[in-house]
Amino acid sequence: MPLTLLLAGAAFAQSNPKAANDAYFGEKLYPLMVNSQCNLCHNDNGVAAATRLQFPSAEAEPAQITAFGLGLMALVDREQPKKSLLALKPTNQIEHTGGARFAPGSEQEGVLLGWVNYLAGLSEEQVRAAQEKIARARSHSVEPLTVRRLTHSQYNNTVRDLLGDQSRPADGFPKEDFIHGFKNQLEGQGVPPLQAEAYSEAAERLARSAFRGGDQQGLIPCEPDSATDPICGTEFVRQFGLKAFRRPLGFGEANVYVELLRQEASRTGNFIGGAQLAVETMLQSPHFLFRIERGPGSPFRPYEVASRLAYFLWDTMPDEELLKTAEKNGLATGEQVEATARKMLDDPRAKGSMEEFLAQWLRFDRALSAIRDRRLFRGFSTELAAAMTEETRQLFNHLVWEDSDFREFFTADYTYLSTDLARLYGMPAPPEEFVRVSYPPDSGRAGVLGHASLLTLTSKPSDTSPTERGLFIRDHFLCHDVPPPPPGVNTALPVITESKPMTNRERLGVHLNSEACSGCHRLIDPIGLGFEQYDAIGAFREQMTLSFRPEYEDDDGERPERIEVKLPIDVTAHVQGIENSDFSTPKDLGGILAADAGCQKCIVKKMFRYAFGREETLADQPAIEGILKAFQDSGFKFRELIVALVASKPFLDGGPS
Amino acid sequence: MAFRKELSRRTFLKGVGLSGAMIRLGVPAFDAMFNPSGNAYAAADAASTIGSGSIESRFIVWFNGNGIVEKYWIPREEGANYQMTPCLRPLAPFRDDIHILSGVDNPAARVPGPGNGHAKSMSGLMSGEAFTGRGAGGASIDQAIAQQIGKNSRFRSLQIGVCQESFGESVQRNMSWAGRDRPLPPEMIPHRLFDRLFGSKEQYWIDRKKSILDAVSDDARTLKASLGHGDQDRLDEYLTSVRSLERSVASLPPEYSQVVEQPPEGGDLKDWPRIAKLQSDLLVHALASGQTRVASYMLTKCQGLSRFPWLGYTAERHHEYTHGQVETPEGQRILRDINRWHVEEFAYLLAKLKSIREGDGTLLDHTCALYIHEHAEANPHKNSGLAMIVAGHAGGMKTGLHTRQTGTIGDLYQTLAEEVVGAQIGRFPSGNEKLSDIV
Repeated sequence: MPLTLLLAGAAFAQSNPKAANDAYFGEKLYPLMVNSQCNLCHNDNGVAAATRLQFPSAEAEPAQITAFGLGLMALVDREQPKKSLLALKPTNQIEHTGGARFAPGSEQEGVLLGWVNYLAGLSEEQVRAAQEKIARARSHSVEPLTVRRLTHSQYNNTVRDLLGDQSRPADGFPKEDFIHGFKNQLEGQGVPPLQAEAYSEAAERLARSAFRGGDQQGLIPCEPDSATDPICGTEFVRQFGLKAFRRPLGFGEANVYVELLRQEASRTGNFIGGAQLAVETMLQSPHFLFRIERGPGSPFRPYEVASRLAYFLWDTMPDEELLKTAEKNGLATGEQVEATARKMLDDPRAKGSMEEFLAQWLRFDRALSAIRDRRLFRGFSTELAAAMTEETRQLFNHLVWEDSDFREFFTADYTYLSTDLARLYGMPAPPEEFVRVSYPPDSGRAGVLGHASLLTLTSKPSDTSPTERGLFIRDHFLCHDVPPPPPGVNTALPVITESKPMTNRERLGVHLNSEACSGCHRLIDPIGLGFEQYDAIGAFREQMTLSFRPEYEDDDGERPERIEVKLPIDVTAHVQGIENSDFSTPKDLGGILAADAGCQKCIVKKMFRYAFGREETLADQPAIEGILKAFQDSGFKFRELIVALVASKPFLDGGPS
Repeated sequence: MAFRKELSRRTFLKGVGLSGAMIRLGVPAFDAMFNPSGNAYAAADAASTIGSGSIESRFIVWFNGNGIVEKYWIPREEGANYQMTPCLRPLAPFRDDIHILSGVDNPAARVPGPGNGHAKSMSGLMSGEAFTGRGAGGASIDQAIAQQIGKNSRFRSLQIGVCQESFGESVQRNMSWAGRDRPLPPEMIPHRLFDRLFGSKEQYWIDRKKSILDAVSDDARTLKASLGHGDQDRLDEYLTSVRSLERSVASLPPEYSQVVEQPPEGGDLKDWPRIAKLQSDLLVHALASGQTRVASYMLTKCQGLSRFPWLGYTAERHHEYTHGQVETPEGQRILRDINRWHVEEFAYLLAKLKSIREGDGTLLDHTCALYIHEHAEANPHKNSGLAMIVAGHAGGMKTGLHTRQTGTIGDLYQTLAEEVVGAQIGRFPSGNEKLSDIV
C-alpha cells in the first residue's frame, strides 16, 4: 500500500468520538464493520476482492486486526479527512455496490469518523510505527499441517491397488461433507467413532477376502517353512508394510506386526491366518489411514513426496515404480519431481483423479441427485442426469488430455452428446453416443455454461433459479463468496398467481428494490437472468410457461384442469464488476469468462484447494500467481497448470510458501 | 419388532477391557426380565450401566429440518387447556406426557458471519454458538450431556438418522458435534445400526478385535507424540474414536439378537416412514438395554430436500415447499401435512418408549425427549420464537402444558440437562439462566 504518498499534510481532527490509540479500531470500529458484513465481500474470495479493501480472515488475531485497521490509512485523505474513501464509501456517499452499510448521521458513522480522523492525525513517526506493526502481522504464518486422512475415493483406490479389491468399501462409509467446495478439505477430515468403526469393519472384510482361498493376490513373497516361520513373517511384513504405509517400516515398527502375525499364526496353526491379522491391523493403523508428512527434514522425505504426487495426480497410492524412485532418492529436486509428474500424467490413473476434481468442482452430485416435477419435465430421469455429467466430463477430458486451450471449457462451439441429450437440445441424434458434434451456428450454447448438467444442477424441481445460477457462476468460476442474506430479512418472493403471472425477472425485481437485498443480489441475479431461455433441465425455451391449478370448482363441482400462461423472456444480463460484460446467452458469457483474468485465477485456486485439501492463505498468493502465469504462458494447457502446481513451493516444501 | 422370548434374569455384555481383563457391562432388563413387582434393578452389578436403586434418566434430542408452519403447529392457548393443533394432533394420546414450548430464542443464529439462514440457525440451535463457516461452533447439547453421563455406557452416545437428502454441507448433514467443527455423523442404515447394537459375536472374535485395536491405539499414541501441535489434535480424534470402539467391542448375550428383531437388509431404503420406525425401534431397545443414555435422532436433514410420495407430494422437495408457493392456501396445506408427518414419527417414538416397562413405570418415565427444528416459521427462516416439545417424565418434568418462554435455547438446555437429566453441564452457550415452568 502506498502509505508514504499519504504522509503529506497536517492532521485535521474533527468532533465526534475520538480514537485515543490503536486499540480503538479493534474495540469499537471493527465489530461494527463485521456487524455490517463489510468483511463478507471485502476479502480475497469476496465479490469485492478486486477493491483495495481486504479484511483479514475470521480467525485473525488481535494484532492482525489492528494492523488491518492501521492499513486503512490508504483510504484516508489526510488533508480532508471528511472526503476520505473510508468515510464516504461505507455510507454510500460515493457509489458503493454494497449500498449504505453505515447510515449517514448515525452513531456508527461517528465511530467510523473517529478512526478516520485518528489515522489522518498520525504523526510521521506514528505512521512509521504503524507500518512496522502491519509488516509484523503479515509475517505471521499458519502451522504447516502434515497429517491428512485418505479421502473415501482415495481409500477405495488404495485398497484396489494394494489388495486387488474392487469392492469400494468406502462407498458405505459415513458420507464426506463439502467444505470450501470440495470433499477433501482438512476441516472435514475428522474420524468420529462411526468412521473408526467403518474402518475397522472394512479392514476385517478386506483382510478376509485378500486371503480367501489362500494367497490369491500374491501378497506373501516367500514360502513359509512353518506356520510361525519368523523369516518369512518378517519378509512379508516388510514388503506389505512398504506398500501399505507407503514407506519402509522402522525396525521396531515391523517387529510389532511380525509378533502379531506370529501369535495369530500359532493360535490358528497357519501362516495365512497370521498374515491376515497383520493386514487387518495395518489397515487400521494411522500410518495407512493418514498421509503423514514430516516435511523437508524427514527421514522418509522422498516417500512423502511420492505419496503427495500419487494422491494428487492418481488419487491413489504410489505404485512400485514410484516407491523405487523414492528409494533411489529420485524425487529430491524440483526438476526430478516435475519430470516424474509429467510421466505420471500420462498414466490412465491421472484421468480418474482429475475427473474426481471435476465432479467436485462442478458439484455433479447435485445433478445426479436432482429431481424434477414429472408433470413439467417428462423427459427427465436419473439416466439423463448421468448423460449430462458425461457430456461435461467428455469436454473436460478432451481439453485436459489433448492439451487444448482450456478456455474452450467456456467457449467450445462443439460438444459430446448422447441420443437423449441431442433430443433435449433439439439437435439431430449423433452417429454414435458421445461423439463430438458441433452446435448449429445460431445456438446460444457454448462450453460448460450451455451444458444441461450445469443448467440442471442450478435449478429447482419445477423451475430455474436465476439466483442459484448467478451464485454458481460467482462461486465456481470467479471464486467469489457472495455473503448470505443478512439475518432476519424476509427472503420470500411474491407469490405467482393466475391473476398475477410474473416472469422470474419480475419476481426477483423485489431483491433489487430493497436496500437489504440489493447490495448482494445485484451481483447475482443479473447473471442468472441471462440463462432464462434454458429451463430447469437445460432445454431451450422461447417463453416461460407457468401452470396453475385453479382454486375454484366448475359447474360440475370439479376443479378444472391446470391452465398454462406463457410469458416472454428477457435475457438482458451482465456481470457486475466485469467491464463490458453485457450478455444474453451462455455463449456470450462463456466468452467473457474465458477472457477474464479473475476467472482464470479462480481455476487455479480451485485446483489449489483440491490439491492441498485446504483453502489458500495470504502466504500462498505468490505461488498461485506463479501457477497462473505458467498456465497463461502455456496457452492455457491444463496439464501445465497441474505441473506448475506440483513444481510450486508449497507442493515441494509441504507447507504454505 | 417384538420381544419374543423370556430372558434370563441377569445377562452381561461380554468384552475385554484395555488391560485385557474381562469387563462386564451390566445389561439391564427388558420387561421380560422383571419380576412381577418390576424391581429387578436392585440386583444390578456394581460396574453396570445402571445406578444402584434408582433408574437412570435418558436424553434424546430429536430433530427435523426446515421449520414449521406456525399457525397449524403452535397452540393458540397457553396452559393446560390448549387445543391440539392440526400438526400436533398425532400427539393427542400423549397429552399428559408432553410439554409444548414456544417462544424459545436462538440468538447465535443472528451473529453476523458466514452461512445461510439454515446453517447459522443449525449451529446456534445445536451448540448455542455461531456457525464457523464449516460447522457448528461448539459441542452440541447431546454431547455436553453425554460428556457427563455417558462415560459408563457401552456407547457414550448414539447418533441416528433417517432421511438422507440434503445439499451435502457438513452443518446440514449432522446435528451432533463433539466440538467446534467436529461433526458426529448419524448412522442412517437400520441393519447396520442393529449390528452395532445387537450383533452377536463369538468370544474369539472379540479377543481378536481387541488385540488389533490395542495395536492400533499404541501406533496412534506413538505417532501422536512425534507430531506438531495441530496434527496432534487430529490424531487425538482418531485415538479417541479407536478407544470408544474398543469399549463398544463386546457381544450381547445371543438372546438379545433373538429378542430384538433384525431389520431386513433389503427393502426400500428411501421409504422414510418405514426407516424412521425401524430406527426408532432400535433406539428404544438401545436405551432399554442400557447401551447408551444419550442419543440424537435426525429425522430429516437441516434444509432437507426430502420428497413425500406417501403424502402425495412429489413435485418439489421439502425445502422448496417451505418457500416458493408456501403462502398460497395449497402451499400452507402441503407444509401442514409434512409437519404433521414429522410429529407422527415423534409420536411413534413416544409410543415405543411407553411400551417398555421399567421399574414401576415405563421407559418414557425415565426419558427426556426434546423435539427441535432449526427454524420456527419456515419461510422467513425465523430463528426467534422457536417451537419445541419436551416429552417424558425424567426428573419430574412438567407435562400437559403449552407455555410461552422468553429464554434462549441455552437456558432451556441448561435446565433440561441439570434439573431433568441430572447432567451437570454448567453454562451452555447462549444460556444465562434456568427456565422456570420446566420442572
